[in-house]
Amino acid sequence: MTADARLYGVLAEFDNVDDLVDAAKQVREAGYTRFDAHTPFPVHGLDDAMGVRPTILPWIVLAAGLVGLSSGFLMQWWMNDVDYSYAISGKPMFGLPGAVPVAYELTILLASFGAFVGMLALNNLPKWFHPLFRVERFSRATSDRFYLVIEGRDPNFGPRTSDWLGGLGCTALEAVPMPDEPEGLPRPLKGLAWVMTSLALLPVAMIANARFSESSTPQIHLVGNMDFQEKYKAQQTSQLFADGRAMRPDSAGTVARGELDISSPQVTGRNADGSYVAGFPVAVDAGLMARGRERFDIYCATCHGLNGKGDSVVSRRALALQEQGKAAWTPPTDLTSQVVLDQPPGQIFETITLGKNNMPSYAQQLRPRDRWAIALYMEALQSAQAAPSEDE
Amino acid sequence: MTPQASRLLAHDNLHDAGLSRRFGNRFLLIGLAALAVGLGLGIADGDELRHFFHAYLVGYAFVLSVALGGMFFVLIQHLTNAHWSVTVRRLAEFTIVSLPWVGVLGLPLLYPLFTDAGLEEHGGLLWPWIQPLGEDAALVTKKVGWLNPGFFAVRMLGYFAVWGFMGTYFVRKSLQQDLTDSYEPTLKAKKWSALGMIVFALSLTAAAFDLLMSLDPAWFSTIFGVYFFSGSLIAIFSWLILTALFMQRTGRLQHAITVDHYHDLGKFLFAFVFFWGYIAFSQYMLIWYANIPEETLWFAHRQTEAWMPVSWLLVVGHFIIPFAALLSRHTKRRVMVLGFWAAYMLVMHWVDLYWLVMPALDSQALHFGLCDVATSVGIVGLYVAGLCRIAGDRPLIPVNDPLLAECLAFKNV
Repeated sequence: MTADARLYGVLAEFDNVDDLVDAAKQVREAGYTRFDAHTPFPVHGLDDAMGVRPTILPWIVLAAGLVGLSSGFLMQWWMNDVDYSYAISGKPMFGLPGAVPVAYELTILLASFGAFVGMLALNNLPKWFHPLFRVERFSRATSDRFYLVIEGRDPNFGPRTSDWLGGLGCTALEAVPMPDEPEGLPRPLKGLAWVMTSLALLPVAMIANARFSESSTPQIHLVGNMDFQEKYKAQQTSQLFADGRAMRPDSAGTVARGELDISSPQVTGRNADGSYVAGFPVAVDAGLMARGRERFDIYCATCHGLNGKGDSVVSRRALALQEQGKAAWTPPTDLTSQVVLDQPPGQIFETITLGKNNMPSYAQQLRPRDRWAIALYMEALQSAQAAPSEDE
Repeated sequence: MTPQASRLLAHDNLHDAGLSRRFGNRFLLIGLAALAVGLGLGIADGDELRHFFHAYLVGYAFVLSVALGGMFFVLIQHLTNAHWSVTVRRLAEFTIVSLPWVGVLGLPLLYPLFTDAGLEEHGGLLWPWIQPLGEDAALVTKKVGWLNPGFFAVRMLGYFAVWGFMGTYFVRKSLQQDLTDSYEPTLKAKKWSALGMIVFALSLTAAAFDLLMSLDPAWFSTIFGVYFFSGSLIAIFSWLILTALFMQRTGRLQHAITVDHYHDLGKFLFAFVFFWGYIAFSQYMLIWYANIPEETLWFAHRQTEAWMPVSWLLVVGHFIIPFAALLSRHTKRRVMVLGFWAAYMLVMHWVDLYWLVMPALDSQALHFGLCDVATSVGIVGLYVAGLCRIAGDRPLIPVNDPLLAECLAFKNV
């Protein structure tokens, strides 16, 4: 064995696949365990001949895939249902079908990472140096020759191994010396790798620092012309106009199409003497009621709730946030309360038109006829809510 | 055949030698008897054969999916110049050369098209668009340009004309190759497989829309054709595994089909189990997410009342269990284990088709019974009988295929 301590192994060259497979079979049958074959392309049946055990790679891939699957579901459940639950269009906080695509893609992603990294790790790759690279003839392993090498550290390796291997039909035989240089990455490359790794960590460190520290200096605006756009926003001032307002009022006498009549009770909600209109100045029929219900469900129910009691999803969430001290909230008015019940339709109409307290004006979104329709629907809603429950 | 190949296959019984005729007659008897039982029970139901024809459509779709799956298999092997599949390709060719016979089996379906039975109550005995009824009538009436009995029958004729021609053409080329040393027939088949694939995709989609999707004429799903296709592929790979096993168990093709061929068939079965899941979910999720009533109703029928357990059976039994079972290479390389899963998948595929068709009979309740099973067994029996007769004494593998030697030497790395 001492003679072989400085020997990496014995390399045999074959010029065809069949001889290589036969030789590999004999080497295995002779009891060698530390030997390897090198071929320019995958050879069917070589694994069997060499007695290579099945790889555990599939298990790594399966495990990585399952991690991807479960983390995909857990992540979405945590984000949507626990950490930042937010009702969107009344959909469930966490719906399994909707979560499948992300979980599925994460399964694929992690499984392929598992396959790639696992394959590298199981093959001891990346490998910077191999004693066989010093053998000149070995370069043909990537073009047209097949090689079998028995390593010197094989327990069965002895002085006669070389001769025996030579008798297995090879075209050339060569002893491969153990190189003197240390294996591994050259020093400059190693240094470069350290520098690159440190640099790559820099942005992460900066983000972490910014996340966990407080600063009085204003934030950095990387894209200035997006943060500070050259335009006026609502209610801003402008030197351009004599009145100093950036928002221009309508020119005198401007009227929306088809709504020239701006003083009649139908568009103000008030009679000529200033009192609220008590009835409905538009034709009341089932169509108007249906329209009112539709508009109410779109524009009013988001805050006042579908039943008008102010118990909407938005309000409930805002109240919950208020309890945690994260928001201040004035609950929307209960439209079935006595205060509202006492209001004539004209006043309801005016509230929709002009807004009240926290409620903005809906004149832009709702034509006068729609506002009357909503006022009408509210009356129906009020009487429905006031009805005794036995009537159901 | 190369000398090496002929040495290897010398004792392989490449010819059927009367086997198919013997089995053909047996299957003919089974088929006729089972169909008679199904029809008898259908008459006993006293619903003007409504149940029977729904059951017939299930069995018919099953047979059609096997044959069309076989068509895809043959086309794709030519198209990709595959060598692994040569020795099992003839088994698939038998399933498609009998497509005209499948067309004949479809003739009873003309009855629900042209009878007055069920018209008043359901809008048609089987397909309810013959006389649009109820809430959907306005919508369905707009589709009568496409969905009317006459045009429907003409289309069916067209499908089978195309399929019959394609099936006969590719199999004829394959059989010509058996007798000549020139590679002309195989090259011709490869050349036309590209066009054939396009025709196949379009005709299969249209046929799936017509036969199955139109059972709920107000409903539509553009992916439905692909859904039927995914099931067809499960059917054909299971079918090929089982017929290969049958051939080998009866002392044929001992060397022509090796464990590596089973392994590849198993891989494809596994892949298409997943493909089915992928497509089924793609169809479900978009409809679930959009949540539009006219689309969701179809699923609402299938995930409420009696149909909910069947839907779950499909999710678990058609996807999760076979996915886990077929994942391992050991399953795919143990032929009897693979055979079990192939048979299992055929049953599940049948359940899938049952789930597609039967809610049209009753969306609230399950009327599963001997009538359903017997009818399907009958149609499959008749199909196999016809297949055996057509296969006759033809060689069981393409004995002169240019890629045969490579196929015989094929090994999974």
